[in-house]
Amino acid sequence: MRSIWAVAKNTIKQALRMKVAVVFIVLLLVLLPVLGMTTTGDETLKGRLQTFVSYGLSLTSLLLCILTIIVSVYTVTSDIKHRQIYTVVTKPIRRYQFLLGKLFGIMMLDVILLALFSAFIYAYAVYMPKKYKADHKENPQVSNEITQVNNEFFTARAALVIPEIDVTREVNERYQELKGMDRLPDLPYEQIISELTEQAKVRKRTSNIGQKLIWEFDNVKPLTKSMFIRFKYDVAVTPPDMQVFGMWYAGDPNYVKYGQQPETPYYENILRHSVQTFHEIEFPANVVPKSGHLAIAFMNIYPNNTSIIFPDDGLAVLYKADTFTANFVRAVFLILFRLFFLACLGILASTFVSFPVAILMCLVLFSTAAISGFVIESFDSLSSDLNIFYSYSIKWMIRFLPQFDKFSPTEFIVSARLLSWSILARCAVSMVFIKSFILLALSFIIFRYREIAKIIV
Amino acid sequence: MEYAVETFSLTKIFSDWWGRAKVYAVDDLNLQIKKNEVFGLLGPNGSGKSTTIKMLLGLLHPTKGKAVVLGGDGTDPKINSRIGFLPEESYLYKYLNARETLDFYGRLFGLPSELRKMRVEALLDMVGLKAVANRSVGTYSKGMARRIGLAQALINDPELLILDEPTTGLDPIGTRQIKDLILKLAQRGKTILLCSHLLADVEDVCDRIAILYGGKIQTQGRVRELLQQTNKIQITTEAISDATVQKIERLIKDEQAECEIASPLDKLESFFIRTVAAAQQQAQPTSGAVSTTKIGGFLVEESPVEKILDKLVSAPLTEKAVQKEPMTEKVVQDESLASGPDEHLLTELTGSPETSVSKPVAKEEKVEEESAESQQVPQKEQIRKDILDRLTDTSSPPQKDDRQKENS
Repeated sequence: MRSIWAVAKNTIKQALRMKVAVVFIVLLLVLLPVLGMTTTGDETLKGRLQTFVSYGLSLTSLLLCILTIIVSVYTVTSDIKHRQIYTVVTKPIRRYQFLLGKLFGIMMLDVILLALFSAFIYAYAVYMPKKYKADHKENPQVSNEITQVNNEFFTARAALVIPEIDVTREVNERYQELKGMDRLPDLPYEQIISELTEQAKVRKRTSNIGQKLIWEFDNVKPLTKSMFIRFKYDVAVTPPDMQVFGMWYAGDPNYVKYGQQPETPYYENILRHSVQTFHEIEFPANVVPKSGHLAIAFMNIYPNNTSIIFPDDGLAVLYKADTFTANFVRAVFLILFRLFFLACLGILASTFVSFPVAILMCLVLFSTAAISGFVIESFDSLSSDLNIFYSYSIKWMIRFLPQFDKFSPTEFIVSARLLSWSILARCAVSMVFIKSFILLALSFIIFRYREIAKIIV
Repeated sequence: MEYAVETFSLTKIFSDWWGRAKVYAVDDLNLQIKKNEVFGLLGPNGSGKSTTIKMLLGLLHPTKGKAVVLGGDGTDPKINSRIGFLPEESYLYKYLNARETLDFYGRLFGLPSELRKMRVEALLDMVGLKAVANRSVGTYSKGMARRIGLAQALINDPELLILDEPTTGLDPIGTRQIKDLILKLAQRGKTILLCSHLLADVEDVCDRIAILYGGKIQTQGRVRELLQQTNKIQITTEAISDATVQKIERLIKDEQAECEIASPLDKLESFFIRTVAAAQQQAQPTSGAVSTTKIGGFLVEESPVEKILDKLVSAPLTEKAVQKEPMTEKVVQDESLASGPDEHLLTELTGSPETSVSKPVAKEEKVEEESAESQQVPQKEQIRKDILDRLTDTSSPPQKDDRQKENS
């Protein structure tokens, strides 16, 4: 244990004194405050906060990721290349302990830097509303904006689960109908079905003028006073002023569906919103009926002259579930898991290839992991063509990559979405306890059996 | 008896990318190093000395055969904690300073902090780098780095010390100090495996040597037995009158034997050390290593109690060490005389203390290199004879002008 600690300490010294880490630290020290002073977002306080925190966290995460890759690869390959390792592994230290020491060193550096920079981001974000208030004393809108920020940014809200809509029956009917009319396109059966399914799903999310869309939620337990509908409009024909009207309803489903007068109050309002950006509507939580069965309804109304489509992730019902601080801390942990994975990856790479190759390898894997959702999707859509080969090789490899974009900390923080302990635990298990562990075990095995000394004859 | 180091048909073949055998770096090596023995592994460049050592320590895996170090495996931490190793070059972390470097290695051995601090200071003192201990070792000269490398190998007070060319880049005082240290450690019952092609060093300290060529042992045995010329006798006396000398000469001639008569020369090494010691006494400034001839207290003291062992009780060895006459001195002396004008050597050595010990050795190495490089592999017997001839060559008599210089 003592020897692991010695290697760890030495690794930190190496990273700092060889100026590898210093470059990144200076860069962040300069960029973060500049970011804080220059971001304006959409000129509202909320926009400003969202932009700053989103850029700040992304930048910190990105730079620390690259730093981790470089330091972890450098520290191992340099010891091998410059042969300091001869005098280290011949001391009473096992090879895996040497690698563990390196990992501890890197992670200690990461933890310190991450704590430092995220603390700065957090402190600045908390300070921003205060400064804004002081700067705009004469503006009567300020207190509204502050309330909005407290409700929609400095919070952690959970979303109600939207039940999957079953369209199989419709799709089959439509297929038979097309078949009966002999208008089936010249495509394989699966493809026709998947296209029809897609169409049916979009239809379910589309509201023509005067048409009502209803979403129903079960087992809703309101925990706080207000709840929020978060939504985005897509439109068939963009109106000249980019604005559309909509009538929103929240309350007992029986009222909106069958017109029965509900026992509980309900929320109903006509609102005007711009298209293609996310908006939020606040409604009182006491509209939820005792049964816990809540309906949210939307109606496309005159004077709109376009149908309105809600994109796939275009609607969510949110409620406050935790504090901003707790959410922020968990988001920072997501970054830390990322860094841990990358450190293990860097160490693994440097146990069998030299510095430039290892760096390249890690950066490629890192960027693939950052867009893993896209990669997995595109490979899946290709899978029909490369079936067996794909499912046994690439698919497995891609699934092994951590999904950095799925566990993106900024997305949770910017939309004030609850990053629950269970999500965090899932990420920890998958990224740290399974994937990183496999990488580490592989690197221990390779390092255990490789010849440390270079061949000189 | 149990050996400190024993190898069984140790073989290392370096193969090319396709796995085809390319070079036999070490070929069926059976080495036995007894406990408490100073063993010299000699050989020209590329003869497999370093490869052997690296296999002992698990830095390279043997292609065939096995090595047993201190009764175990050289990669086992328990065994490692009893070994001190100095690789062919001091590979140090450039960004650490000398004290941090030693502290780091001390931590690797898991030494408790108090003991570690004491040893670090004692070793810094011993290798003469206390004054520059806070400078990063990246700025050190080769010799200074070598000293830290040596200190690093001694921090655990090892039972077995493996030194791969320990004196390269060291000034004569440093070299002398290492030799004294080796002898001291041997007295304390340590085993030392010394690997070098600086023959003079090996000769002064080793009990037994093995000469490697092409990864095979060409010859091995006790230094004294290998080098002794049984057909010659040397008589050294106090200054006696010319008449007596002539009488002796006559007696020898009566036996039909040849004889040479000369005043023995002091060793250049001893002379050099005296000169520098005098300069040090006048406290002339230097930015380099301060050559003390002290040896770290914990290395020489033979107290059973660890704490006392590590007290900084360093025995001043200067005078004793300089006066001590190694038994093979005559041979060495003749070598140096045969190889070049004394004056040239002297200025070179005193002018830059970093150059290696003595020129004749370097020359010797060159000869060996040439023989190694000439592609047609000569007969083993021939090489052995060649090397041994050089080691035992005493034919060249001291020259006259040398004696005159000595007198003036």
